[in-house]
Amino acid sequence: MKLESRIPGGPLADKWDRHKFESKLVAPANRRKFTVIVVGTGLAGASASASLGELGYRVLTFCIHDSPRRAHSIAAQGGINAAKNYRNDGDSVYRLFYDTIKGGDYRSREANVYRLAQVSVNIIDQCVAQGVPFAREYGGLLDNRSFGGAQVSRTFYARGQTGQQLLLGAYQSMMRQVEAGSVTLFPNREMLDLVVIADRARGIVVRDLVTGRLESYAADAVLLCTGGYGTAFYLSTNAVNTNVTAAWRCHKRGAVFANPCFTQIHPTCIPVSGEHQSKLTLMSESLRNDGRVWVPKDPSDTRPPQQIPEGDRDYYLERRYPSFGNLVPRDVASRAAKGVCDEGRGVGETGLAVYLDFTDAIERLGANVIRQRYGNLFDMYQKITDENPYRVPMRIYPAVHYTMGGLWVDYNLMSTIPGLHVLGEANFSDHGANRLGASALMQGLADGYFVIPYTLPNYLAAAPVPAVTTDHEAFTEAEHAVQARIDRVLAVRGSKTPREFHRELGRLLWDDVGMTRNAESLSRALTTIPQLHEQFWQDVRVPGKPNNLNKNLEYAGRVADYLEFAEVMARDALERRESCGGHFREEFQTADGEAVRNDERFAHVAAWEFTGVGRAPLRHVEPLVFEFVKPTQRSYK
Amino acid sequence: MPMRPMKFLSSSVGTKVLIAVTGLAFFLFLILHLAGNLLIFVGPEAFNSYSHKLVSNPLLLVAEAGLAAIFLLHVVKAVVNFTANRHARPVGYAMKRWARHTSRKSLASTTMIVSGTIIFGFLILHLITFKFGTYYEDPTHHYRDLHRLVLEKFSHPGLVGFYVLCMTIIGLHLRHGLASAFQSLGIEHPQYNRLIRLGGVVLALLIAAGFAAIPIWVYFVGTR
Amino acid sequence: MTKMTVTLRVWRQAGPSARGRFVEYAAEGVSPDMSFLEMLDVINEGLIRKGEDPIAFDSDCREGICGTCGFLVDGVAHGPDRGTTVCQLYMRRFTDGATITVEPWRARAFPVIKDLVVDRSAFDRIIQAGGYISVNVGAAPDAHAIPVPKSVADNAMDAAQCIGCGACVAACKNASAALFVAAKITHLNLLPHGEPEQHKRVVAMVDQADTAGFGSCSNEGECEAVCPKEIKLSTIARMNRQYARACWFDR
Ligand SMILES: Cc1cc2nc3c(=O)[nH]c(=O)nc-3n(C[C@H](O)[C@H](O)[C@H](O)COP(=O)(O)OP(=O)(O)OC[C@H]3O[C@@H](n4cnc5c(N)ncnc54)[C@H](O)[C@@H]3O)c2cc1C
Ligand code: HEM
Ligand code: FES
Repeated sequence: MKLESRIPGGPLADKWDRHKFESKLVAPANRRKFTVIVVGTGLAGASASASLGELGYRVLTFCIHDSPRRAHSIAAQGGINAAKNYRNDGDSVYRLFYDTIKGGDYRSREANVYRLAQVSVNIIDQCVAQGVPFAREYGGLLDNRSFGGAQVSRTFYARGQTGQQLLLGAYQSMMRQVEAGSVTLFPNREMLDLVVIADRARGIVVRDLVTGRLESYAADAVLLCTGGYGTAFYLSTNAVNTNVTAAWRCHKRGAVFANPCFTQIHPTCIPVSGEHQSKLTLMSESLRNDGRVWVPKDPSDTRPPQQIPEGDRDYYLERRYPSFGNLVPRDVASRAAKGVCDEGRGVGETGLAVYLDFTDAIERLGANVIRQRYGNLFDMYQKITDENPYRVPMRIYPAVHYTMGGLWVDYNLMSTIPGLHVLGEANFSDHGANRLGASALMQGLADGYFVIPYTLPNYLAAAPVPAVTTDHEAFTEAEHAVQARIDRVLAVRGSKTPREFHRELGRLLWDDVGMTRNAESLSRALTTIPQLHEQFWQDVRVPGKPNNLNKNLEYAGRVADYLEFAEVMARDALERRESCGGHFREEFQTADGEAVRNDERFAHVAAWEFTGVGRAPLRHVEPLVFEFVKPTQRSYK
Repeated sequence: MPMRPMKFLSSSVGTKVLIAVTGLAFFLFLILHLAGNLLIFVGPEAFNSYSHKLVSNPLLLVAEAGLAAIFLLHVVKAVVNFTANRHARPVGYAMKRWARHTSRKSLASTTMIVSGTIIFGFLILHLITFKFGTYYEDPTHHYRDLHRLVLEKFSHPGLVGFYVLCMTIIGLHLRHGLASAFQSLGIEHPQYNRLIRLGGVVLALLIAAGFAAIPIWVYFVGTR
Repeated sequence: MTKMTVTLRVWRQAGPSARGRFVEYAAEGVSPDMSFLEMLDVINEGLIRKGEDPIAFDSDCREGICGTCGFLVDGVAHGPDRGTTVCQLYMRRFTDGATITVEPWRARAFPVIKDLVVDRSAFDRIIQAGGYISVNVGAAPDAHAIPVPKSVADNAMDAAQCIGCGACVAACKNASAALFVAAKITHLNLLPHGEPEQHKRVVAMVDQADTAGFGSCSNEGECEAVCPKEIKLSTIARMNRQYARACWFDR
C-alpha cells in the first residue's frame, strides 16, 4: 500500500492557500444534495457539523452521549494555543509551527503543522465571536499565558475550563444548525461499523443505546471525530466512555492505523488512591508555571513535606533542566517523575507521587493571585484528596492523557478509505510523537472549522458517486456482523466482568507498553495481550439484554476492541526501535537518560493495515521529509 | 420582533411577574388599610369619620373594583401557576431534603399556596364580618359606627385568636413573597439583595404585627 | 485505612414505562477515598457476578465537568457537598453504617430511561431554540475588535460554567429549568457579541422551556444551592427582566 500524503507543493507558507485554491468547490445549490455523516461531537465533530451545516450540506451527527455537549473535550482545562502574538513576545505562525514540530520530536508532517499554526489565529476570532468567555485583562483585551514549556505566551484560556467553553461554543453553533434544519442530531448512538461500498465509505451502523436497536445511515462521506484511545490503559485522565471502537471498526474495514504506540503521559495528575480507582484526574499543566516539583533527596526521608528543609529537597526538574526547569515538555517531566519514584524517592502512601509545591508562589504573589489563577484546580484537588494545597504541597504522578496515534489521514484529513475523513484526536494528527500543551483543542477546532470545509468539498465534487440507500446489501451485511458480535459477547456468560478485563489490560499496558518500554516488555505484552483477549471471549460475563439501555454491553464491546487494538500498540512500539517523544525505549537513551531518536531509520509514520483478527498486521511507512526544519536532538537543558 | 404582551402574560416568567405585581399592589393596599385602621387607637371619632370619608367618596367603588381585580388576578394566576408547577413533576420524590448552603427555602416559601388559600378564606369572612356586618348608626353624626362593631366583634376571644392567626399567616406569605416579588420582577443587585430580603422580612413582620395589634388591643384594652 | 459499610436504597426501574421501586444493597469494604460512583461500580461488579442486572447510572468525565452524572443522594441533588457533582462526592463524607437513599432526577421533562438514568434532551432543545450567537465560521472579526471589560467577561464566565446536568430542575419543587436557561442567557447576553440577538434569544429559550413542560421559578433558590457550578440566582432575575423587556418593548 502506498500512503499518499497529498501534500501540496510550493513554499511552506503558501501550501495551504494554494491547496484551497486548487480544491474543487461544491456550488451552494448542490450542497443540500450531499449527506455527510459526522461521528462524534467533541471539538472536532461539533465544529465540523456546525461549519458544514452553515455551508448547506445535509449533516447527520452522532454521539454516544445523551447530549452532544458532554463530549470528552469538555474536560480540557488549560487552554488553546494561537499564534496571535498579542504579547509582542516574538511569537509568529512560524514559531508555533516550529515549536510544534520540535515538541513532536520530528515525527509529524511539516505541511500539516504549518497549516495548523496558520489557522490557529482564526480559531480565536471565531470562538470570541461565538461568545467564548476567554480570560481578559483590565483593558478588555484577551489575556494569554505561557503553557507547557512554550517560551512565548500564546495560550488563550477560560479559567480552568477552556475545553468546556470552546466545546459549548461549537455545540451551540451546531445546535443553531439543528434549528436551521441542516444538521440532524442522533445522540445516544454508538457507531459500531463503517459501511464501505465500491471502496468508498458510504455509511455507518450504530446502536441506539437506549432502545438497543441497530440502525443504518447512508451518506456521501463519513467524518470520524471520535477522540482518542487513552482508556486502553484503563486508568487515564480521559472520560470513562472514551473508546477506540469507532476507529478500530474503521480500521478493520481498511483504514490504516498510524503510530498507535505514541501515547502521551501527563506529568501532573492526582495519584492513584486504590484498586477501586476508575479514572485519574488531571491537574492542569498550567500549575507548573507557578508550582515547583520536588522530592526528598533521601529516599528514607518520611517527614511531612513542610518539615523538610530546602537543603534536603531535590527540585529535580530545575536541577536537570536549568533553562526550562519545571516547564519541560510533558514526556520529559513524566519520565523524570517515574525516575525519581523508581529510585525510591517517591512520596505519599504508595510512593508513586512527587510534590508540586506552591509555597514560593504564594509567598511571592499572595494566596489571592494563586486562587485567581488556579482556584478551581485547587478546589478540585482538595475535593479528591481531602488535603489543602494552599498549605500542603500537592502530590502528583504521571497518567495516560492523550494519544498522538490514530487513523492515518492525508493532508485532506482523508483516511485510506476514500470518503472516510478523520478529525481531532482520532486521527494520527499533527502532534508527531508528543503533543504540546494547549494544542489538541487547537487541532480539533482547526480540523472542524477551517480544514474540512475546504477539503471535503474537494472530495465530494471530484468524484460523483452513485446514490446508495441503506437497503444496499453492504448495510445488511454490516448490521448482521454487528448483531453477531453483540450476541456472541452476551452468550459467553462467563465469570469475569468487562471491568475486570479492562483493569487487567490497563495494568498490563501500563507495565509493559507504558511510560518506558523495552523489547523484552513489549514481546511479553505480545504474548499476554492475546491470552487475555482469548480469555475474554471465554469468560466474560455481560448481564442483561441487548434491547435496552445496557451499559455493560456497551462497555464489553469497547473492552473487546481494546483487546484487539492493544496488540498493534505493542507491536508498533516494538518495531519503532528508537526513543522519540512519548515513545521511550529504554534501549535507546543517552548516558543521562535522554531519548535518542533514530532519524535515519525511523523518520517516518508507521501505519498498520488490518489483515484479520489474530493475524499479524502489515506495517506501512510514510517517510517524513523535513524541508524547512532541521531535526535536532531536543534539548531542554 | 413584535410586542407580544399576551404571550408574555401566559408564559412562566410573565405569570410570575403578574403574581408579583398584583401581590405587591395588594401589599401596598394593606399598608394604607393598616394606616387607616390604626386610627382606632386614636379614638372612635377619628376612626369613624375616616371610614365615613372613605365610603362617601364616589371613587371608592372604582378603587374597590380595582382592588378586587388585582386580588382575583393574583389568586387565579397563583393557582394556575401552582397547578402547572405540580404538573411539571408528575412523580414525586420518596426522599427530598432541604439543600442547605445558599437555599432560601423556608416554611414560608413552601407553604405559599396554603397561606394564600387561608388568606382567601379569611378575606371573605373579614368582608362579611365588617363590610357587610351589622350597620350601627352613630347617634350624633348619623354615619356608620364601625368602631362599635369592631369593639363588639373583638370582644370574642375566639375571633381575636382567629384574626391573630390569620395575620400571622399573611405575615408568613409576605415573608417569602416580598423579596420573591423583587426577584420575579428582575430587581436585584449584588449590593442590595440582602437589603431586599431583610426589608421583606421586616415589612412582613410589621404588617402582621400592625394588624394583629388591633384585635389584641381591642380585646384587652379597648372594650374596657 | 479503615473500611466502611453502607446500605443503599436505590431506585430501580427497568424501563421508561416500567414500575419502579426501591431496592436495598449492602456495600461492604467501602474505602473513604472512593467516589460515590466508584462505590456504585463496586456494587455493580458484585451484581454482575451474581447474575443480577447492575444499577444503570450515567457518568463520563468523573471530574465534575461533563454534566453526565447526577441523581439525588439522601434527598439532595448531587449529594450534600456544596458545588460538587455526584462523581466528585467522596465516601468519606458518609458515616460508617449509614443508609443512603438514591433516586433519579424527577421531572416531566426528564423522563426516566432506566434506574437512575433520565432523558435530558429537553435541555438541548432549549439551547437549539436560541442558546447561541449567530456567527458563521469565517465571518468573525479579529478577536480584539471588540474589547470586553474584564468584569463583564468574568460575570459571563461565571454563568457560562453551567454543565447542563439538570440538578437545578431536580432540586426545584416546580421542576423549573429557570437556572439553566438563565445561566445561558446571562452568559450570552452579557457579552457585546451576544447583544444583537439578546431579545430574540431570551424569548425563544424561555418559551421553549415552557413548551418542554418545566415549571416556573418560585425563587426558593434550591437550584443555586445544589448547582455544581454555583450559578447565581441573580441570573434568573436578569432573565425575568430581559424577558419582560423583550416582550413589551422590542419590536
Ligand atoms: C483532562 C484533560 C485535559 C485536557 N486539557 C487540554 C488542554 O488544556 N488543551 C488542549 O489543547 N488539549 C487538552 N486536552 C486534550 C483535548 O481535550 C482532546 O484531545 C480533544 O478535546 C479531543 O477532541 P475530539 O473532538 O477529537 O474528541 P472528543 O472530545 O473525545 O469527542 C469524541 C466524540 O466522539 C463520540 N464518540 C466516541 N466514540 C463513539 C462511537 N463509537 N460512536 C459514536 N460516537 C462516539 C463521543 O460521544 C464524543 O462526542 C485535554 C484532555 C484531557 C483528558
Ligand atoms: C393578602 C393578600 C396577598 C398578598 C399581599 C400577596 C402577596 C404575594 C406576593 C408579594 C407574592 C410573591 C410573588 C412572587 O413570588 O413573585 C405572592 C406569591 C404567591 N401568592 Fe400571594 N398574596 C396575597 C394573597 C394570596 C392569595 C389569596 C393566594 C391564593 C391562593 C395567594 C397565593 C400565592 C401563591 C401560591 C404565591 C407563590 C407563587 C410562586 O410559587 O411563586 N396569595 N403573594
Ligand atoms: S461524570 Fe462528568 S460531571 Fe460527573
